[in-house]
Amino acid sequence: MTRFLCNRLIMMMVTMLCASFLVFAVCEFSPGSVARKSLGPFATQQQVDLLFKKLRATDPLPVRYSRWLGVLLGLIPDPLQAPDSGLNFNDPRGAQYFGNFGYSTLNKLPVNDVIWDRLKHTAVLAGLAFALIVPLSIIFGILSGLKEGGALDRFLSVICVTFTSIPEFASGVFLVTLFVILWPLLPGTSQLDPGSGWSIPSQLVLPVAVLVIYDFGYVARMIRVSMIGVMERPFIRTAVLKGMDTRQVIFGHALRNAMIAPFTVLLLQINFLVSGVVVTELVFAYPGFGRLLLDASLFGDIATLEAATLVTVAIAVTTQLVGDLGYMLLDPRIRVK
Amino acid sequence: MEEYPHPKIPALVEDFKNDKLARREFLRFATLLGLSATAAYSIAGIAMPAGAKADDMPKGGNLRIGMRCMEIKDPHLADFAERSNVIRQVCEYLTFTDRNNITHPYLLEKWEASDDLKTWTLHVRKNVKWHKGKPLTADDVVWNLKRVCDPAIGSSMLGLFTGYLVEEYDTGEKDSAGNAKKSSRLWSDKAIEKVDDYTVRLNCSSAQIAVPEHLFHYPMFILDPEEKGSFGPGANGTGPFEMTEFTVGKNAKYKARTDYWGTGPYLDTFEFVDLGDNPGAGIAAVASKQVDGLSEADAVQINSMKNFPHVAVYEVETTQTIVARMHPDNDLFKDKRVRQAMRFAIDREKVIQTSLLGAGTPAEDHHVAPSHPEYATLPKYPRDIEKAKKLLADAGFPDGFETDMVTRPDPIWELNTAQVLAEQFNDIGVKVNIKSLPSAQYWEVWTKAPFSLTAWGHRPLAVMTLSLAYRSNAAWNESNYSNPEFDKLLTEAEGILDPKQRSVVMAKIEAIMQDDGPIVQPFWRIFSTVMDKKVKGFELHPSQYIFAHQYAIVQV
Repeated sequence: MTRFLCNRLIMMMVTMLCASFLVFAVCEFSPGSVARKSLGPFATQQQVDLLFKKLRATDPLPVRYSRWLGVLLGLIPDPLQAPDSGLNFNDPRGAQYFGNFGYSTLNKLPVNDVIWDRLKHTAVLAGLAFALIVPLSIIFGILSGLKEGGALDRFLSVICVTFTSIPEFASGVFLVTLFVILWPLLPGTSQLDPGSGWSIPSQLVLPVAVLVIYDFGYVARMIRVSMIGVMERPFIRTAVLKGMDTRQVIFGHALRNAMIAPFTVLLLQINFLVSGVVVTELVFAYPGFGRLLLDASLFGDIATLEAATLVTVAIAVTTQLVGDLGYMLLDPRIRVK
Repeated sequence: MEEYPHPKIPALVEDFKNDKLARREFLRFATLLGLSATAAYSIAGIAMPAGAKADDMPKGGNLRIGMRCMEIKDPHLADFAERSNVIRQVCEYLTFTDRNNITHPYLLEKWEASDDLKTWTLHVRKNVKWHKGKPLTADDVVWNLKRVCDPAIGSSMLGLFTGYLVEEYDTGEKDSAGNAKKSSRLWSDKAIEKVDDYTVRLNCSSAQIAVPEHLFHYPMFILDPEEKGSFGPGANGTGPFEMTEFTVGKNAKYKARTDYWGTGPYLDTFEFVDLGDNPGAGIAAVASKQVDGLSEADAVQINSMKNFPHVAVYEVETTQTIVARMHPDNDLFKDKRVRQAMRFAIDREKVIQTSLLGAGTPAEDHHVAPSHPEYATLPKYPRDIEKAKKLLADAGFPDGFETDMVTRPDPIWELNTAQVLAEQFNDIGVKVNIKSLPSAQYWEVWTKAPFSLTAWGHRPLAVMTLSLAYRSNAAWNESNYSNPEFDKLLTEAEGILDPKQRSVVMAKIEAIMQDDGPIVQPFWRIFSTVMDKKVKGFELHPSQYIFAHQYAIVQV
């Protein structure tokens, strides 16, 4: 078990290294220099070149990447935070420490001061949505999987497919029109600011609703298919024939087996909810991680982008690990000896 | 006989009384030459547009306005109205050009211009105190004026000052392409001179009437020299508010100063709220009263919000515009008949209706607006497909041609305009492929693409834009336009004070632009926004400027 965990941790590190290098490489080929973007259209080429030099963006890619890695691991101080760099970057934590993500050129702040709040906001949104998606999709999946093709299955399937096919921006606008403009019960945007006259929970209702509507139907469909498969297996037939009541058959035998495949799908939703909620965040002006990622990539703010990538990769790899461990709990056959 | 601050004012008064000078021009020139707005309006025989009276303004409360909160660099580099709005509540200008294009003293008490308009004496207001306590002095003003003239700082003020305070010179070095590297410097050591603690003198190399207007150009903030051009929460300023919080992409919060030198502020606190790029978020936030107004609302947003019972719509005509500009040194566009054909190809009213939902007025392809004081009326020409096709055929394109047009996807009216124009060019056989680039990438190529669509901001004077955008080798000359006759006439127009003489020259400039110029210019935008009806004292400025110390909230 320890060896298994160690292996996974090493794999996780390797994945993160690869992903971070890829981001660097992709940024290299994306058009528009960060110096031009931060100085704006009207700066002269001379000024752009000067800033480009100050940001040390003229060094070759491997040099910049290893410097970034060195700064992150706390092996070297961030040269951009040196007082003589002329950039006026200073991090109250100092220029050299483990976990130094560098300085955000977009926000003019240390990346560590920027990303964690945003991530927290998105975690709240994602957590609430996930807490609703899991039970809803399980209930819908089981109910429609119990009897394939039955009236209930058809009814629930129509709901699931319809909801899943409505894009987030459409359902967002639709809900805003209903609950903000026609019946003003809820706030139209969610800046998470109590000063706007609406409580924070009320600001979360619509964005969470949009995410749940978009996502739960898909997961429910997965559970449904799995449930159908399990319900046709001989051991279920045996259980029914030996006189077990339906509730016992479902919860005692079917559900656990039916959850093995959808378990991964459910965990994958966490990745989606962390980095893929950008549309919902835009519709509701939600100060989340997705919007930060979008702004950083449009601006070419490589430090923020790298930090965000590492965080999302870490979450993805961790959920995978949790998924594997969960499999072991659900299915004794794949337990590591 | 009244004592006037400038010897040319009596002649202006005379011309105005003899109907040789329009009222708007009289007001603008008389105030530029140092006459107070009150005196100018009283000579003009109309009441000065009264701002709300301070005593009538309710006090207290928090006002929230929805606006993008972009990253702030040095205030002297402010390049978008949104950025300057964040700074504007804390730092101030020497002068103030109002929505009627009349320039007033702001941090200056008054100014005087010499007879030849080459020497400008600026009298700094004596009762102004920085937030951190010390008084504002001539030294502060001189530091700021000199700083924006330093090419290493990179302020766009440098371009405006070039020609009368700043000169270009050859550095003697060559760039990688072998061209001589040029840089800029003050034309003389005495160009910006401190006279005494409260007086600054500008000694210009040539006559310049628009100095007070230039001092209101949006990067020309007066900053505390001790802060060396940095800005953020707690930054020192002479303005009505102190910034307490600023998060890019989220908000900017301010607290009113109690010891502000001017009138106002009436609010206790003020706030910009970033609602992102999605226009729907602006509507939703206004609908649920999470913000009291927006800094700008486009025609589509206005249409959805005008029926909200708590909302008032504000509109102002601006000289904000968009130009489809062609590089005359490109093979496709080098024949001026092609450029003329493109101008005859468009139906201006239709463009306005389709891309702005009617919120615009037709333009005439010369980048001088009817609301500009130096506008000269030329005969208008309608859409003429036959003529356009003939011009194209004569220029060697009987079957038209195909070309790319570079543009941006946001704001949406820019892309809409590109689409309508492309349709209309198609009618004369010119197939236009729209290449929409993300803003950041667009600004990399905006001067290089042979054919592109660029929005230009509001400026009170046409000569300001013409010299920034169409003078040979000007920094923002995106159209690569170079016409010695145009340059000569433009320099001439900038130095002429007599409006009659000047309009003769302006008519020639406009005619050159229509005949030979590089642009197709469909419209001038009408700028609009919304505010909650409880907001008092709000006026929409054509440059999208927010001055929160003039606004108050009526408590219900």
